[in-house]
Amino acid sequence: MSALLLMVQIGGRRCAIEAQDVKSVIDLGVIAPVPRAPSFIAGITALRSQALTVIDCRLAMGLSDEVWPCDSRAAVVAVEGHSYALMVDAIEDITTGLSVPGQIPGGFGAQWSRAADGMIETGIGPALLLNLPALIVGPETSISRNVHAA
Amino acid sequence: MDDLLAEFIAETREMLEATGGELVAWEADPADRARLDSVFRFVHTVKGNCGFFDFPRLAALSHAAEDALADLRAGRREASAPLVSAVLAIIDRIAEMVDAIEAGEELDSGDDAALIAALAADHAPDSSADAPDAPAPLLPEQLMMRRSDPAANLIAPRTIRLPVELLDRVMIGVSDMVLARNDLAHRLRIAGTQPTIDGPFERLTAILSDVRDAITRMRMQRIETLFGALPRLVRDLSAELGKQVLIDLEGGNVELDREMIETIRDPLTHIIRNAIDHGIETPAARLAAGKREMGLLTLSAHQSGNTIAIVVSDDGRGLDAEKIAAKAVSSGLITAAERATLSREKVLQLIFEPGFSTAEAVSNISGRGVGLDVVRQNLEKVGGSIAVSSQPGVGTLFTLQIPLTLSIIAGLTVEVAGQRLAIPQGYIEEIIEASAEALDYARMGETALVTFRGERVPCLLLADVLGLPAPEMTQGTHTLALLRLASGDLFALAIERIHSHGDLVVKPLAPAVMKCGLYAGSALLDDGQPVLLLDVTRIAAEHHLLSDTRARTAPRKAEIAGDMAQSAGRVMLFTGLDGRRAAIRLELVQRIETIPTSAIDRSGARPRAVIDGVILPLTGLGDEPLVRGKLRLLRLSDGLTELLYAVRDVEDATELPASLGAAEDDPLVEGLALIGGRPVAVLDGHGLFARFGDAPRPATRPQCLLPDTEWARSILGPLVEAAGYQVADPAESNASKAVTILMEDVYEAASHVGQLPAGPIIRLRDHPDAAPDSPSIYRYDREALIKALREVRDSAPLARAAAMGAVA
Repeated sequence: MSALLLMVQIGGRRCAIEAQDVKSVIDLGVIAPVPRAPSFIAGITALRSQALTVIDCRLAMGLSDEVWPCDSRAAVVAVEGHSYALMVDAIEDITTGLSVPGQIPGGFGAQWSRAADGMIETGIGPALLLNLPALIVGPETSISRNVHAA
Repeated sequence: MDDLLAEFIAETREMLEATGGELVAWEADPADRARLDSVFRFVHTVKGNCGFFDFPRLAALSHAAEDALADLRAGRREASAPLVSAVLAIIDRIAEMVDAIEAGEELDSGDDAALIAALAADHAPDSSADAPDAPAPLLPEQLMMRRSDPAANLIAPRTIRLPVELLDRVMIGVSDMVLARNDLAHRLRIAGTQPTIDGPFERLTAILSDVRDAITRMRMQRIETLFGALPRLVRDLSAELGKQVLIDLEGGNVELDREMIETIRDPLTHIIRNAIDHGIETPAARLAAGKREMGLLTLSAHQSGNTIAIVVSDDGRGLDAEKIAAKAVSSGLITAAERATLSREKVLQLIFEPGFSTAEAVSNISGRGVGLDVVRQNLEKVGGSIAVSSQPGVGTLFTLQIPLTLSIIAGLTVEVAGQRLAIPQGYIEEIIEASAEALDYARMGETALVTFRGERVPCLLLADVLGLPAPEMTQGTHTLALLRLASGDLFALAIERIHSHGDLVVKPLAPAVMKCGLYAGSALLDDGQPVLLLDVTRIAAEHHLLSDTRARTAPRKAEIAGDMAQSAGRVMLFTGLDGRRAAIRLELVQRIETIPTSAIDRSGARPRAVIDGVILPLTGLGDEPLVRGKLRLLRLSDGLTELLYAVRDVEDATELPASLGAAEDDPLVEGLALIGGRPVAVLDGHGLFARFGDAPRPATRPQCLLPDTEWARSILGPLVEAAGYQVADPAESNASKAVTILMEDVYEAASHVGQLPAGPIIRLRDHPDAAPDSPSIYRYDREALIKALREVRDSAPLARAAAMGAVA
């Protein structure tokens, strides 16, 4: 697999997003918060005349509110006709994937397994390949799903 | 699918829709040649198009129908009900086949032959010689028809089909352009005036707003597309139910968002089904009731501002309020005690409540498990509403109010706890800004009430709703938006301040944000900042402020309001130019105006001012000179005459206490009232209008003709204009109404030959000295000249009377 990947850091972990899913990388401007929305929704912001939903990926992965560094840029992705801006620690680089996503013994942990397709080898080392539709659902639903499963 | 085939299907569909109405009209009047022609054109085109594809059955059907219609056109047959039905059946079959072709299915070879045979059913008696499927001899007219291109028969303007997605992309592009323009405008303002750039920029702005309008219209569709299918629906339904119904459509050229058309299609169909099924009686019952055999169903669409009203009325038996009430009580919607307090009108609205259906037996027409409650829900979802009124035995009238478009709405942007949010303008009944005492804010358990015009209205704090820090409501002044829901419920929403208002382009929200249940969409403000649009109906529902509970508390509110009846009405408080606080009855105040002092004319006997092109008398000025550049005015009206009252400051509208203190000697003051612990002079509306009222007069100034000299133009002209005249062009002016200024010598010459102008004349002389009783004025005697001009103008009624005489 030699697809281009956008490399990002989420909660200190290196993750990869398939570059073909990324519409652009923007400088995050003013974010209008959305009262009463789940915490991983940082708010909405404007990309030209479009409104983007800003997702804080750290919170969407269910990480605690430890203070992570935050890149002033965000990756814009479209899922099911809606556009999202992904807030991450850092947007690193664009590189080439060197393997197909695979699992590792012991798994990645519940949240990461939910939102990632697996580990992928890249030009700058291994990374988790993110599954965008699963990522933007956020941690809450997964908890309720676990409750249903139980 | 093949492009050509897709084109064929789309074209056939479009024609089917357009032909539906024609068919019914033709059936009603078989002699109507124009309708027959258009039905014929349809089958003919279908037949012709089939030639390109391999659809033998479609070709056979359309061919048979075409032959039958051709016979009609040639007068070889008479139109009869069975024949019309047979043609309709074939057209229906064609529609089914088109659907099947699009889905790629094979329609099972039903009874095509039977359909074709039906065409010939009453054929035999007319001419047994022609077998229905034998090709009829071609008449010259038919030959022409066959040769002509089917597309040439379309009278409609040229159109092309576009994917909606492409339209949306263009719309987004234009929105982006508008934002880029705003950004640029902002930068240009900072950079200061630059004539070389400002001009082209203005042009760009104008072009952009044109393009934006055009793009918005691209999404619009005539409601005709919806109406077109209705005659057929009505025909089929009434035939099925053994009733006779005539449908009358009006306002088909009203345009609305094509998605909105789709949204109202089902509700409208449902109401029509109901009207025919339950509303309109059988012909026998109608005759017995002294009505025409044929029932009348009227649909009309009207646009007013940003909403469209669609009225569906029938002249059927009307709604039975007693039956509805009994049903509502028996199904537990209301209690018998509540029933007693409800007015007839309120009872009728119960038919929109969930779980209500009057039909004793569920018929297969209107009882399809979808009730009027679903109709109302669907309309409310898009910000619309529905109401019903009915006269027993006379008919029923449904009124649907729907917004013009889903995507652009007028909205008010408000601020709370540092956040901006938008509220659709349509919900806003009034914005009030008042102190905590005036609002009479009271917490009742977990809810709160404010008093508005003597009514206790539930009050929500927007900050609370959003989980933001809320202000203390018991002190200070607050801004409240009074929101009226589509169901008629009223509630107050406390906000911090109004930010702006304007058109908002509403975009859908991501599902995770929608789940909050508070927002209906997002929009971008002019400065490019995103705002969330509040879902007012849902917020009200969450807080149990919706509908059924309200309908029954309303009468009690009216009782409370009864206590307020003691008060002598409402007045508007203001501070006059003389610094005195005064009040005037609210009914008299038409609106508050602000005008530049240059629009005030104090030269006449009474001050006047020009507003919106009319001259109105102005009072309240006092004797002081006007120091400020602008003046606030109350525009008062008694219905016929109007007058303006100058004020320094408008304060608030408030209740007038029942008893007034004795007035001073001022004839214009009705009495003194104690409002907020301070005396306020209540102006006497009667006195004001008796003394100053005047019907608005168009602000055309009297005309004045000047001598044709350079001196008159450059020196006399400005003086004449300052005196309130318009310097007239001799070629255009109506000399009989104009004042003419003549130099003495010219006057004498003119009077010699008897060619004096018809209107009043002011004579000027060149020398200061003259006989004391000279009729002329020295040309530099400014005061005398102005006096003369004013005298002429104040005797203007003369001129006006003359003008009226001319009209009479």
